[in-house]
Amino acid sequence: MKHTLQQVFRSSKFVTGFCIFAAILMVVIFYPLFVPNPPLEIIAQGSFFPPGTYVSTYDTVFSSKAYTLNLTDAATKRIAAKLGDQERNDIKEYLMLVGVPEDQIDSTNTILLLDLWEKNYDPTKKISGMIFSKVRYFERLNKSLDGLLSEEGLILASPNIDTGTLEQVGIINLSDYVNIKEVASVRTLPLGTDNFGRDVLTQLVKATSVSLMIGLIAGLIATFIGLVLGLLSGYVGGMLDDIIMFITNLFTVIPSFVLLILISYSVGQEHRGAVMVAAVIGFTSWVWTTRAVRSQVISLRNRDHVNLSKLSGHSIGYIITHDILPYIASYVVMALILQISSAILAEASLSILGLGPKTSEVPTLGLMMNWAMIYQAQILGKWWAYFPVLLVIAMITFSMNLMNTGLDQVFNPALRD
Amino acid sequence: MKRLMFVLTIIVVFTLALSACATATEAPAATEAPAATEAPVATEAPAASGEAAAEVVAGDTVLPREETLYFNGQQWSAVVCWNPYSSNCNNAMAIAQQDNARTIMFETPYMYNMMDGKVYPLLADGPYAWDEGMTKITFKLNAAAKWSDGSAVTADDVAYTWASHVKYNTGTGAANILYVADIVAVDPQTVEVQAVLGDDGKSINPLLVQAYLSSNYVMQKAWTEALEARAAGDAAAFMADVAEDVVYSGPYGKFFSDDTKVVYIRNDAYWGQDASMWGKLPAPKYLAHIIYKDNAAGTTALAAGEVDVSQQFNSNVQDLWLEQGLPISTYLPEAPYGIGASLPTAFFNTASLGLDNVAVRKAIAMAVDYDTIIANAMTNQSATFTQVPRSLMNPTPGEQAAYDKAAVADLQWAGNDIDGAIALLDEAGVVDTDGDGFRDIDGKKLSYVATCPNGWSDWQAAIEVVAAAGAKIGIEITTQYPEWGVYQTVVTNSPLPAEGYDIFMMWSDGAGPTQPWGRIRKLLSGEFAGTTNNWNGNWSGFDNADANALIDAIPTMTDAAEIKAAYTELVKIYLTEVPSFTLMYRPQAFHTVNESVWTNFPHEGDGTDPAVPPLNLTDGYSVAGLYNLTLVK
Repeated sequence: MKHTLQQVFRSSKFVTGFCIFAAILMVVIFYPLFVPNPPLEIIAQGSFFPPGTYVSTYDTVFSSKAYTLNLTDAATKRIAAKLGDQERNDIKEYLMLVGVPEDQIDSTNTILLLDLWEKNYDPTKKISGMIFSKVRYFERLNKSLDGLLSEEGLILASPNIDTGTLEQVGIINLSDYVNIKEVASVRTLPLGTDNFGRDVLTQLVKATSVSLMIGLIAGLIATFIGLVLGLLSGYVGGMLDDIIMFITNLFTVIPSFVLLILISYSVGQEHRGAVMVAAVIGFTSWVWTTRAVRSQVISLRNRDHVNLSKLSGHSIGYIITHDILPYIASYVVMALILQISSAILAEASLSILGLGPKTSEVPTLGLMMNWAMIYQAQILGKWWAYFPVLLVIAMITFSMNLMNTGLDQVFNPALRD
Repeated sequence: MKRLMFVLTIIVVFTLALSACATATEAPAATEAPAATEAPVATEAPAASGEAAAEVVAGDTVLPREETLYFNGQQWSAVVCWNPYSSNCNNAMAIAQQDNARTIMFETPYMYNMMDGKVYPLLADGPYAWDEGMTKITFKLNAAAKWSDGSAVTADDVAYTWASHVKYNTGTGAANILYVADIVAVDPQTVEVQAVLGDDGKSINPLLVQAYLSSNYVMQKAWTEALEARAAGDAAAFMADVAEDVVYSGPYGKFFSDDTKVVYIRNDAYWGQDASMWGKLPAPKYLAHIIYKDNAAGTTALAAGEVDVSQQFNSNVQDLWLEQGLPISTYLPEAPYGIGASLPTAFFNTASLGLDNVAVRKAIAMAVDYDTIIANAMTNQSATFTQVPRSLMNPTPGEQAAYDKAAVADLQWAGNDIDGAIALLDEAGVVDTDGDGFRDIDGKKLSYVATCPNGWSDWQAAIEVVAAAGAKIGIEITTQYPEWGVYQTVVTNSPLPAEGYDIFMMWSDGAGPTQPWGRIRKLLSGEFAGTTNNWNGNWSGFDNADANALIDAIPTMTDAAEIKAAYTELVKIYLTEVPSFTLMYRPQAFHTVNESVWTNFPHEGDGTDPAVPPLNLTDGYSVAGLYNLTLVK
């Protein structure tokens, strides 16, 4: 055993796959210890908030300490954020449309440009040939330029409870800064939020663990069925072999994914929990394991040590578990790994078709993809809602396939260097 | 052996790489093509981009982009027939007899305008009039009105259409027979609609009688007779006829249809170009609707400039112009982007344990975070309940003025009121008796299933938020999404099952000539309680004598103050008894336009008088918008 493990861990492919998988597993186990938020908690009012650190505006204003920093590039940055090259060109275009001669417009001189804009922009003026979405664009642009060149701070006011009038409670100067560490409420959302307003990263970690569990359950079921049927069919042979192979062949010709879809659909969403989906996947994907195990057993069945065991009067169960199983154990482990990875993919495919586990109980990788697609994340460029999920699915299956290849190299004499 | 394999592999890889390079250099044209399809983004070159983006072929004809207006979100599968007597033609663009009837091919006497709540003549000439005793409506037909075969539209056609609806018991006939006694031709231009009279000798429901005029098409008598001859008197055959030869009076007729698209072509002899009607022809020569697989495909086409008018839920629609800089806009510049007209509503199964208790119903409704529903599920395409406090009215100004806000202000909850809901439950004695964290009644835990059809994404997202509210007030609410086929059979048939449908979502009426009365009737009227095959409303089975009396009385009321008082009372009953609760406001139709090719679509403050409603240029008075379109220069 020790020797086998040593051999296995000498395979670079296996080690790479194992490391990736172990890393994913570590994150799944330890992340919830550090971020205990419920994965399905709706925190955002609005969908698809981009990744980043969110700082409470209110707390920022009332942060205990205010710092004054005189940064020379602050004003430039502020202006550049609202007035990029595109906006400057658009302003120039508008000014020319309303009859300002081109030589009077210097789109690089902010003060002059905004001065011209203020004098010439008239939202009520109809400009022939300008489409309405452009009219609205200029309205938005005009609004965003408001107070851009202001040198004054902003006054904070709150209504007096008795009189209802606004009273000044503070002032925010242009050079006021806060230290982000001193702001009471800050939340970092490394992968933003999804369409429901849930934290994508927290959800992704939970979904990964659920998907791994689905994969494991489905893989175990499929491997167990495949192993039992393969062993019986291969070792006992005869009539039993014919019956088992008949059933197996029947399942081989029906595409298992179609079967999966039909069963999932008929089960109905009200009964489709994660475990149920795992079971359905497991019960539809045992076919190839059965066939492979059977052929291996047939080649083992007439070996000398098996015959010897038979002569010694051992029972069928004893022979199968002691004389046959150990010889195909490595193959079964490899089959299990492949079953797990294909079950994770199957869950994702089912969920994308809307036939996965029911929403709202637990997240799964497939469900996350499904909802991102329904809310058109891929069209609107909200990559954080689906790309990390894709990446996790790819990493899990990649690591498992790599481990499998590594094991194959160790155990398959034909592939040994 | 191994070495040989290695050498072979290298050779194969090398060959593959070489061949890959070869195709890449050989096909510069192919790589340029996608660039051309991206061009609609550039607003400067819309003409060129339009043609490159969508060269749609219908039959033998390439549809010229600059003569075609493209739609999405209305037609989701192949058109199967052209027969307005049928109720399942699945011809969404041409046939929709409803409050805002779709009139591009078939026409109604009047068009309803949801912006001012008035009707405007289409086939009719001038307004309709009730007689003194409120027994019948008389209206004139426009003398210029012609069928597509050139013959005149006469009062006989109107009368014969109604007679056929009754004779063959069509959907329209069945829905109106209780209110419309008969429609007769006084002379070729004058139509008389006789109402079914009540005990007082007046129309029992004048609202529904006059709504008939803007909701139902006029069909040609001669064509109907030809159809009858074909059907040989068999009602099923009459309604199932494909009607490829149908005669119509509207500006567009059938051009092409298969399972990928449907195209309508302008009838250049359309009578509406007469000075008494529009005075010109509608701008687009073709109206085309590509059949998209789903919303995502439709949005992609809209963003690419292949769709001009989009009637579908485009989530986060503002990103299309704010972030992608596309020439796309909605009716309003800011959220809610459109005008809310209907009230998607969650109904209670009052037979479930605890839901017969008004305190439990109201507590759940108070605890729901509506702002989150609106921001997340509807991506802000709904007014909030702070902007438009809850009542039975939609957010249009006309309906908002129909009740006395001050009188019910203390009843209108804004949502997310966890403390209020907890206090209400505690006060009603609904408390957690066994310490499991959930409240109990008679020792049984309050546990409900909230549900809506699977795949109805914005509703599902809303139901998730409803479920989240339960946990905060000690009531277990889980979610479940059955398939629509199952769902619709269950919720439209009383009694509701004991499990699985405790809180379920359905719709309400939108904007129309009978509103808000029609919507209130369908939300509250006891006439629908306990019925089967109920597609009207009141799925909770609410039956309140006061509400029923008011609903019966309003259609015959004439005094404005009296009507307002009645509506206010109904709102009061609704907010006190909470048989159901509205989750969001939803536009009558989503209306997003792309100005890559066409411009001058209806938008707020566009200067049209009367204002053209944002209903995709197809529904009710919004067809007026087709005449205002111009090409982008």
